[in-house]
Amino acid sequence: MIKLESVTKVYKGEVLALHEASCDIQKGEFVFLVGPSGSGKSTFLRLLNKEEDPDKGQIFVAGKDIGRLSRWRVPYLRRNIGSIFQDFKLLPNKTVAQNVAFALEVIGRPKHVVKTQVPAILELVGLQKKMHNLPHELSGGEQQRVSIARAFVNRPLILLADEPTGNLDPATSVGIMRLLDRINKTGTTVVMATHDRGIVDTMRRRVIELDRGQIVRDQVRGVY
Amino acid sequence: MALKFDYVIRETGRNLRRNLTLTVASVLTVFVSLALLGVALLLQKGVSNATDRWEDGVEFIIFLQPDRSTSQQERIESMLERQVPGAIDRYRFVTQQEAYEEFSNDFFPNTPEITDLVTPEILPPSYRVVPTELDAEQVEVLARSFEDEPGVRRVIRATEEIRKIERATDVVRWIVLVAGIILLATGLLLILNTIRMAMFARRREIEVMKLVGATNWFILVPFMLEGTAQGIMGAAMGSGAVYGANRAFARWLASDNVLNILQSFAVDSGEVWGIALLLMGIGAAVGAVGSAIAAYRWLDV
Repeated sequence: MIKLESVTKVYKGEVLALHEASCDIQKGEFVFLVGPSGSGKSTFLRLLNKEEDPDKGQIFVAGKDIGRLSRWRVPYLRRNIGSIFQDFKLLPNKTVAQNVAFALEVIGRPKHVVKTQVPAILELVGLQKKMHNLPHELSGGEQQRVSIARAFVNRPLILLADEPTGNLDPATSVGIMRLLDRINKTGTTVVMATHDRGIVDTMRRRVIELDRGQIVRDQVRGVY
Repeated sequence: MALKFDYVIRETGRNLRRNLTLTVASVLTVFVSLALLGVALLLQKGVSNATDRWEDGVEFIIFLQPDRSTSQQERIESMLERQVPGAIDRYRFVTQQEAYEEFSNDFFPNTPEITDLVTPEILPPSYRVVPTELDAEQVEVLARSFEDEPGVRRVIRATEEIRKIERATDVVRWIVLVAGIILLATGLLLILNTIRMAMFARRREIEVMKLVGATNWFILVPFMLEGTAQGIMGAAMGSGAVYGANRAFARWLASDNVLNILQSFAVDSGEVWGIALLLMGIGAAVGAVGSAIAAYRWLDV
């Protein structure tokens, strides 16, 4: 599903974000990206949805070399990739339901699809009772659930998570991880960058460790 | 994928309202600049209507008798022909029918009372002569040589008056035109800035839209429409001002105390519509270009 072949990314000519990174992630896998700050985890994720382009090497997503994707095709790549973040990136002036619906509306989904999909996905993340609340009326964990609902409502093949539990307390984090695990069980490939040792150690999934831009470890059922 | 009509209209309207002060500033600037451009064009049309027969260096006109004989005309024509390319650079024959069209379209476009009294047969045909030397004395000698020829009714010279009108309106026209263009550039920059502010105010939404895979067009079209709408609103007001100015001028011409010669400056409504259409096009283009530059630079980073 995702394949990197000796990918190198350098920022501003000197900062080495990724160096000769190669790996192969199968459909339906759950992968943790671990490593200290600045080791290249976020760059890894940003390269996958083409927010940035590598300086060297090739990246394949769903069998396609995304380096050869023309600019106007990039939005269609992103429709297959959901993204969630540490800071949620919710729109503060829209309700929970509107935030999720927005993701469908702006890719031109018809109204009746929006009407049925939004309540269904909010039920999946356990927020059907709060669909008319604004984001600031929710707890951090609930806000992250909304952002997961928005990322997953279009049923993407891949879900990219950049420190999704970074702003949450351990108990709330466990709930978020259960949700991501459920999404993974539907066949969605999940790649999650994290600092959270406890989560990685309890989940026992594949772990890719980065250090100064290099993949130093790739374990099938790893710990932090 | 088709853009949703109601979505685009809603977004455009919301953006226009949100940035009201900047929107008003952009629209007014486009309005004033296009009004100036329009007046400059109007002036140009008026002057060219009035001085049409003196254009392209025509220095004197030989009017023939409507009842001249063919041999008389041939004699005059051969006199002209002999001096090309010596004293005469070129000349042109204007038939009675052409003279009638000029009379009714250029001189008295809004006064059928006058043109109805005239038929092509009573108007004289003429030769429009462009001499090689513009020296006043030489032109005078040349013009006088035709004056006593049989079949010639009258020779009239481009008077100093006409040259003065042309020169004066030329200067005014250039000043108005340059001012209009500078203001138009200001309008473009203002629209660009308005759109940039609008996109900045909605940067979170744009970020999410890009993230979930909205196409660039989907993101851009509401902003481009917003800029285009500003340009068109300004242009509509500018066209209205030009129309009003022409109406006021026409009404002033129609009052009794105006010299008859000014009648020929009148611009007919067809020409005003042409100018209005041009202004609308310019306004829309300025708006679209301004917002496209703003949007493109924003999306590219």
